[in-house]
Amino acid sequence: MLKNYFKIAIAVLRRRKFFTVISLFGISFTLTILMVLTAFINKVVGDDYPDKKRDRSLYITRLEEDGPTNMSSAGPSFYFLNHYAAGLKIPVKIAISSNFNGTNTYVNNKKIAVNYKYTNADYWDVLEYDFTEGKAFSKQQVENAEKVAVISTDMKNAYFGDESSVVGRYIEADNVKYRVCGVVKNVPITSYMTYSDIYLPYTVSKMDYNYKGYRGGYMGILLANSKSDLSKMHDEYEQMIQKIPMESKEFNRMYSHADTYITSYVDTGNEKQSGVLIVLTVIGVFAFILMLLPTLNLVNINITRIMERSSEIGVRKAFGASSKILVYQFIVENLILTLLGGLIGTILSIAIIKFINSENLIPNLELSLNLTVLFIGLIICLVFGFLSGVYPAWRMSKLNVVTALKA
Amino acid sequence: MLKHLFKLIWNKKKQNLLLISEMLISFLVIFAVFTLLIYDYQNYRKPMGIDYENVWVVNYNNSFNTDNTDSLNLFYETMVRTIKSLPQIKEISFSSDNTAFSQNTNTGGITIKNKRVDNINWYTVDDNYQKVLNMQMLEGRWFNKGDAVARDIHIVINSVLKEKIFGKNNAVGEFIEDRDNKTRSQVIGVVNAVKMKGDFAKTEPGLYSRTDTGSFRWLGKILVKVNPGTNAAFESQLYKMLANYMKNSNVEIEHMDNKLKSANYWYLVPMIVLLIVAGFLIVNVALGLFGVLWYNINKRRGEIGLRRAIGASGKSVSVQLVGESMILATLSLIVGSFFAVQFPLLNVFDLPASVYLAAIFLSVLFIYLLVFVCSLYPGKQAAAIYPAVALHEE
Repeated sequence: MLKNYFKIAIAVLRRRKFFTVISLFGISFTLTILMVLTAFINKVVGDDYPDKKRDRSLYITRLEEDGPTNMSSAGPSFYFLNHYAAGLKIPVKIAISSNFNGTNTYVNNKKIAVNYKYTNADYWDVLEYDFTEGKAFSKQQVENAEKVAVISTDMKNAYFGDESSVVGRYIEADNVKYRVCGVVKNVPITSYMTYSDIYLPYTVSKMDYNYKGYRGGYMGILLANSKSDLSKMHDEYEQMIQKIPMESKEFNRMYSHADTYITSYVDTGNEKQSGVLIVLTVIGVFAFILMLLPTLNLVNINITRIMERSSEIGVRKAFGASSKILVYQFIVENLILTLLGGLIGTILSIAIIKFINSENLIPNLELSLNLTVLFIGLIICLVFGFLSGVYPAWRMSKLNVVTALKA
Repeated sequence: MLKHLFKLIWNKKKQNLLLISEMLISFLVIFAVFTLLIYDYQNYRKPMGIDYENVWVVNYNNSFNTDNTDSLNLFYETMVRTIKSLPQIKEISFSSDNTAFSQNTNTGGITIKNKRVDNINWYTVDDNYQKVLNMQMLEGRWFNKGDAVARDIHIVINSVLKEKIFGKNNAVGEFIEDRDNKTRSQVIGVVNAVKMKGDFAKTEPGLYSRTDTGSFRWLGKILVKVNPGTNAAFESQLYKMLANYMKNSNVEIEHMDNKLKSANYWYLVPMIVLLIVAGFLIVNVALGLFGVLWYNINKRRGEIGLRRAIGASGKSVSVQLVGESMILATLSLIVGSFFAVQFPLLNVFDLPASVYLAAIFLSVLFIYLLVFVCSLYPGKQAAAIYPAVALHEE
C-alpha cells in the first residue's frame, strides 16, 4: 500500500513542478537553519573536551552574598574553594581554576593578546586535556611556586612559530618568564570554563590567593566517584553553604550552587529563574516563529493542490474510499515531500557547516553533523510534515463527492 | 468597484483567510526586523561623543601595599610623570572600570528636589579625562585642581541626564543629593553624552565624579592618548615600563578601537542573523503567494474569459486581480497595524515612538510592494487569456 502511495506522491509532485519547488525550498531552508542551530547547541553543550568526566562532575561558578540594601555576586575566591569546598566528604577531587584574564606579550615587535588562567594541580586530573607535548605541572611544582606554564597549540604557534618542540623553552607573558612544560590541544572560547591560552600554577599569581574574602575570580569543579553520587554531592554542598558564617555584617544570606555543566553554563545570576529555562524558552520561541511561516505557506500550497485533485478524490470516494484512508494517504504524501525537503536540507546544512568551519568564525569551534543532530532534524521534518498536512487533509476529506465529480 | 471586489473576496473567505494570516505574520516579522534596523540605525547616526582613535586602555591592579595615602599618591604621580615623558604619549587619565566599550557597568541613583532618578551610569575620572577623549562640553567646565578643595563635591553630568532632570533649564550651579541621600553635590558642567556600549548603543544618563586622594587604592584603568602611527615596539616599551614599575600587578594594554569592534559584535551578530532568517522567510512567503495566486487565476479562467468576451480590456482584468490581492493585503495590514501600534502606545522596551512608527510605515510599504509584485505576473497571465479558448474549455 505504501509503495502505491509513494508512486502517487511522486507523480503528483512531478505534475506541478513549480509548487513542488516552492515547497521543497521552504522546507529545506527552514530545516537547514534549524539544523545548523542544533549543531551549534550540540557542540556547545555536548562537546566534552576537556572535561570528559562531565557526567560525574559538578561546577561551582558563582557566589552571591545578599544584604538588606545590596547584593554582590562574583566567582568564589581561591580561599573559599580551598578551605570550604575542599573539606567536603563526597568529592574525590576538586579542580580549582581562575576565570581567564587578558594580558599582552610582545615578541618580535609583534603584540600578542594572551589569556591566562591559574589552576591547582588536581585540575589536570579532573580534566583530561590532550597533551601534544610534555605534561601538566605537578603538585610539587605548584607548592614550590615554580614558574612553569602549560600553553595551547595556538599560543605555541603564535609565540614560537613553526617549532617542533617547545617544552623547556621560555615564554614571557605579563612581564614574567615561564618555562613551558606542556602543550595542549586548543579549547574553543565557547567552553569558557576551561578555555585559556596559558595555564599557570596559582601559586605564581600576582594577586594574593590567601585573601580570605569569599568572592574572587575563581571557579571549582567537584569530581564524584560515580554518577550516582552526583545528587548527594550537590546536596552536601548546599548544606555546607547554609552553615558557613557570613563574611561581614552587611550580608545576611549566601547563595552558591554546585550544578551540572549545562546548568552552570547558562547561569545568569538570577536566583529565582532557572537559566536553563530562559535559554530553552528563547530557543523555543525562535524555532516556533521560524517554523510558523513556512508551515502556513505549505498549508496554503497543499490546499491549492488538493483542490486541483478534487476530481480524483471524488472518483475514489464514489468507489468507496473512506475519509480516513484518504486523509492517511495525503498525510503520507506530505511526509514524503517533507522528507525529501529534509534530505536537501541536510545536504545544505553539511555545506554550510563546512563553510563555517573553514571560515573559522569562532576560532577552534568545529561544528559537526553527528547522529543527534540528524535525529533531531528528522523529528523536525516529521513534525513539519504532519502540521502542514493535517489541515488540508481534513479539508479534503470533507469534499462532497458529487460536487467534486461535477467540477 | 471596491464593493464588488469585497464581495468576491468574501465569497472565498476560507481560502483567503489563510492568505491573510500568512500576510499578517509576514508583516509582524518584517515589523520586528525594521524596528531593530531603525533603532540601530538611529543610534548609529548619533555622534560617538569621544575620539577613540589612538587611545589605549591600560588595565592594572593596585599592588602598592601601604596605609599611607601620601606615599600611594606619590607612587602613582611619579608613574604618571614617567609615562608622560615618553615621546609618543600625548595625554593620560585614570578612570573607573566602566570605560567606553567595556563590559563593565556601574550604576546608581540620585535624588534631586525629592525626586529619585535611578539607572545613572557613575564614572569616577580625573582632570585629564575630557582631554584624552576629546569630549565636548556643552555648559560649564570640566574638573580642575581647584575642585579638590571646594566646599561642596563637584560633579559633571552628561546631556542625557541633564535633560532628564533639568529639561531646558540651566544645570550649572544646581545641587543634587547622592545615592545614599547624605552628601550634596554641585553640577559644574554638562558634557555631551557618549555611546558607551558601541556604535549601535543608545546614550544613557551619566554622571562623572572626580578622583580623590584615596582613589588610587582601587583604580584599575589608565587611558593613554598616543600619537597616530605609534607602533607595537613603543607599546612593548610602555608595557615593560609599567610592569616593572608596578611589580605585583597584572598589566594589559588594549586598543580602544579594537574594544569598539568587539562591543559592536553584540549588536551586529543578532542583526545579521535576524536579517538572514527574515530574508529567507520573506522569499518563502513571496513564492507561496505567487504560487497560490497563480493557481487561483487558473481556476477562474471561465470567469475571466466571460469578462473578456463581454468587452473588458486585458488591462482591467489584471487591475481587478491585482486589486483583489491588494485588498487582502490591506485587510491583513489593518489587523497587523492594530497589533503593531500597541508597541509605541505601551512604550515596550523603552524605544522611542518614532522608531516604531517608522517601522510600521516601512513594513506596510514593504508588504504592499511584496503583494503587488507577486500578483503582477499572474495578473498579466490572466489578461492574456483568449476569451474563446477559455470559454471553450468549459
